[in-house]
Amino acid sequence: MAGRGPQGRAERRSAGELESEVLATLWATELALTPVEIQAEIRGGLAYNTVHTILKRLYDKGLVLRDVDGRRGAYRPAKNAAELTAEAMHEALDRGPDPIATLQQFVTGLSPEEEQALRDLLSGGAHRHRQPGGGTP
Amino acid sequence: MKIDVYLPILLSLLLAALGPVVGRRVAPALAARVLTASALFTAAATTWSLVLLAATLIDRAPPVVAEARDGGHRLPDPVPESVAVAAALALVLVAVRVYRACRAERVTRRALRALCAGYPPDTELVVAASSVPQAFAVPGSGGAPGRILVTSAMLGALEPAERRVLLAHERAHLRHRHALLVAAVALATAADPLLAPVRTTVTFLVERWADEQAADAVGDRPTTARALARAALSAGRRAPSCALHFTDRAITRRIAALQVAPPPHLWPLAATTLALGALPALGAADATGDLLHLLTHAFM
Repeated sequence: MAGRGPQGRAERRSAGELESEVLATLWATELALTPVEIQAEIRGGLAYNTVHTILKRLYDKGLVLRDVDGRRGAYRPAKNAAELTAEAMHEALDRGPDPIATLQQFVTGLSPEEEQALRDLLSGGAHRHRQPGGGTP
Repeated sequence: MKIDVYLPILLSLLLAALGPVVGRRVAPALAARVLTASALFTAAATTWSLVLLAATLIDRAPPVVAEARDGGHRLPDPVPESVAVAAALALVLVAVRVYRACRAERVTRRALRALCAGYPPDTELVVAASSVPQAFAVPGSGGAPGRILVTSAMLGALEPAERRVLLAHERAHLRHRHALLVAAVALATAADPLLAPVRTTVTFLVERWADEQAADAVGDRPTTARALARAALSAGRRAPSCALHFTDRAITRRIAALQVAPPPHLWPLAATTLALGALPALGAADATGDLLHLLTHAFM
């Protein structure tokens, strides 16, 4: 599995980075996922055992929960702490532009023309062939 | 003294003009470091020049005048009194601005740390369950590790490979201590407002730097560009109040930069910028020597 391209890179990521990726995946889908489903969603060439170990660690930290009502072995993100964090974040944002203006935000605002240009990029990019070596199976 | 003392102010203007050019041509990691260092040197030299200009007022202090007259000395008059008074007022303003900049930085750090309190120390990603797409790096301080704070809406808006770009981008901010660079250039601009364009450039460059690192981490520039586009679209549509009116086409320029090869290092241009940053310090040092000489004469 550990070859070139994204698969090879996946093996070099640290345990903390992989934890972030699994947690981000669970939050992105908002569904309870089994290790196999997470493995498929990440597409990073992670071994099943690795995903399982990461999930166990996240569970021990209280960041994910076992989906007791649903399927056996499925996990979903723990909402309580995340809701508190969101509340604190919005409070900080509402306090004025000062604290948030100095943050390193991933992206900032858009003008209408920029918005159209970005839409064009995304619709064009969807059909584009992946670069050799960077492809997914 | 007469010219040297004004040199840092002139060179601030030159650095302000050169900053955006360096930002466009030189690799972001090198450009951000060089511009920040030059801005710090220049701001320190400009402030010192103001100190020197204000210090010429000492010449006119009654004890000095009396002493010089007793000694039969003719008092030197290095700069017009109005300039010296203006410099003293400017110094007060600089002190207020620097104090405010430091306080704003402290308040921000505290607010950010509070957001991540309660999470296990070896957890990198902190998710906020919010419908506002938002992502930023929370720099580590005082033993607390750096963290990545992302809202659930932002994670949901991105595809798996794009989420990896987002995480790699924020990780680059933490790993290369971008918050420190941005704070340093903010401090320099507080002391020397002429450097404002350099600050804007460095703020943009650390984003570019993190984009390049993310593209490197996922090994795919087009995916990195798409991640930026999708994040910007979801943030732009869902939360106009969070837009920072930073509409100098920053995101479009970042995406355009990812669609071509990474920029070269261009060491000569970087070295020139650093030299330009060091010049004001030389001017200020020379002016200091001149002033000390004048004062020694006044007292001897």
